[in-house]
Amino acid sequence: MLDGIITGLTTAVMPFNLLMVVVGCFAGTFIGMLPGLGPISAVALMIPITYGLDPSSGIILMAGVYYGAVFGGSTSSILINAPGCASTVVTSFDGYPLAQQKQAGKALALAAYSSFTGGTIGAIVLLFAAPALASVSLSFQSSDYFALMILGLTAVAAFSGKGQVIKALIMTVFGLMIATIGTDVTSGTTRFTFGNVNLIDGISFLLLAMATFALAEVVMTVLKGQHREKEEAMDMSQLGSMKLSKEEILHVAPTIGRSSIFGFLVGVLPGAGATIASFLAYGLERNLASAKEKLKFGKGALRGLAAPESANNAASTGSFVPLLTLGIPGSGTTAIMLGALIAYGIQPGPRLFIDNPDVFWSVIISMYFGNLVLLILNLPLIPYISRLLAIPRPILIPLILFFSVTGVYLVSFNSFDIHMMALITAIAIFLKLLEFPMAPMLLGFILGGLMENNLSRALTISDGSFAFLWERPLTLGIVSVALIVLIIPPLIELLRRSKTKEPLPRGPETSISEGEG
Amino acid sequence: MTLSKDHIGGLVFLALSATYGYYAGHIALLPGDEFEPFHAQSLPNALAILGALLSIVLLLTANRSLSSTLSLTGYDFRLVTQLLVLVVAFALALDWVGFFIATIFFLIGGYWLLGERRIKTLLVASVPFAGGIWFVLTQLLDIYLAPGQLFTHLFGG
Repeated sequence: MLDGIITGLTTAVMPFNLLMVVVGCFAGTFIGMLPGLGPISAVALMIPITYGLDPSSGIILMAGVYYGAVFGGSTSSILINAPGCASTVVTSFDGYPLAQQKQAGKALALAAYSSFTGGTIGAIVLLFAAPALASVSLSFQSSDYFALMILGLTAVAAFSGKGQVIKALIMTVFGLMIATIGTDVTSGTTRFTFGNVNLIDGISFLLLAMATFALAEVVMTVLKGQHREKEEAMDMSQLGSMKLSKEEILHVAPTIGRSSIFGFLVGVLPGAGATIASFLAYGLERNLASAKEKLKFGKGALRGLAAPESANNAASTGSFVPLLTLGIPGSGTTAIMLGALIAYGIQPGPRLFIDNPDVFWSVIISMYFGNLVLLILNLPLIPYISRLLAIPRPILIPLILFFSVTGVYLVSFNSFDIHMMALITAIAIFLKLLEFPMAPMLLGFILGGLMENNLSRALTISDGSFAFLWERPLTLGIVSVALIVLIIPPLIELLRRSKTKEPLPRGPETSISEGEG
Repeated sequence: MTLSKDHIGGLVFLALSATYGYYAGHIALLPGDEFEPFHAQSLPNALAILGALLSIVLLLTANRSLSSTLSLTGYDFRLVTQLLVLVVAFALALDWVGFFIATIFFLIGGYWLLGERRIKTLLVASVPFAGGIWFVLTQLLDIYLAPGQLFTHLFGG
């Protein structure tokens, strides 16, 4: 393990990779501050750039953008009460009231310290947890992988919010359907190409990710008329001091510690992401607070700000555990990173630890650097970065559209891809209006090919019998967990409904469905 | 009976699953593949059935409250359609007039559609930007960008 850490450290401290962390954090912070664009969109916009880089640098850049976007989302939550992404909604509960009390500087500093501590604790736990899990998963067979992918897909659906499970499952199936377009790798026959040569290679992951998360998100803001809204001015003269007193630090330290560990554990669960972690950590902290302190929550409580901030950053780090060790993304953003790694020819999973130790370790080490950059460079520069938001929307939106479209074009040099992007964006907007979550579709699409290969192999080994699902204890265990994860949320909901005899309420769109981390 | 978002979604995916299943049956198989435990039609067939089942479940459990009906008021569909047409036009322009001119037209068109009318702003925010991007791509990153069929036809390749 020490060799690996040294390899990772050597790769991560290369000047170019350090530059990638810094650039990623800045770009992410800026994109994350734009209301409507979250970490998924930010990371999706970076994919075309990473295609020209080597795998380690590409993933380091994406990881930097990821943290930056979460941090940027917190900043706009605190300053203008407009969360850039779902995982920073809770930050605005106590962050914005603090800004109104002319303590925005303190709120931003506390958010940055909490994020830093959350991310750091998360990175340290990841340093030990990931290799341990990777070595265990080396004994996995194709049947186990198939079961794991089922678990990943069902978990994403199960965590996608109250009353949304069926819709998320449908979107997963839709993603799997899209993945079958093109040439079947095992037999070499073409499927669903309708004689169009442009579809023989299937629909590219980049195209689908950019169309559903970058283009569709921007077009949705236009559809809702948000491009006409003037960005609320951030009065930087009223930031106030960015210093925290010793008493305040002692007051929030236990909260940050608890929420970091808690957030990391929630982030590790496939499907649960930073949003769920931040909501749960806030709830937990509120329950732990004394009756007197409880009253302060929602009115500018420091603990109420520190808890979700440390939890969502730790969860972002935690979501890398299933990605790096099992090859199963824990969230929408890591799903995009999985697609990017596959495009590089790197298969995330237990072999990654052995075959590409430089990628594995440098990502983990650079996460720590990313948190450091956010604290040292981004925090003091917030007043300047936020000035970029003054670019009028009628100028900014066409530029984002241009980057999304050319990002796809410059990889394939095929204008057919741009036509496909426009079509997929139109479909994505229609589905968004019907409240169908997008991330399960992307996850289904990414895991579709791998799942089909593993199922084909497992069925061939067992001579066409599905007995492999219950004959091998490990496979049976994973399938059982997948079933439990899938059945429990609707059951709880049904029980609750029968008790209260109320119609099924719609829960908040969570991490998985919107711009989550 | 009111048609809610869930109903519309369920019906759309039921139709999609049926169409997908129909075409799944048309996937060409290699000789002898039909005796194999897993072939090119296996997963598509399973997905079609699963998709149809889930759509039916969605239709049966659909939220029927008034608040869940699809309301299209307050959305600017016209502008979105224009923007998507602009994206398609950009793709066509890339083939015919090349990257630089297509980019300028796309950006000016985008700014114009979103309400920017000042000629100076339209030009300043598009021409130097397109030139800068073109320079970075072709001169710094050494990426070949085709000049466009129109120029090839006029001046020869």
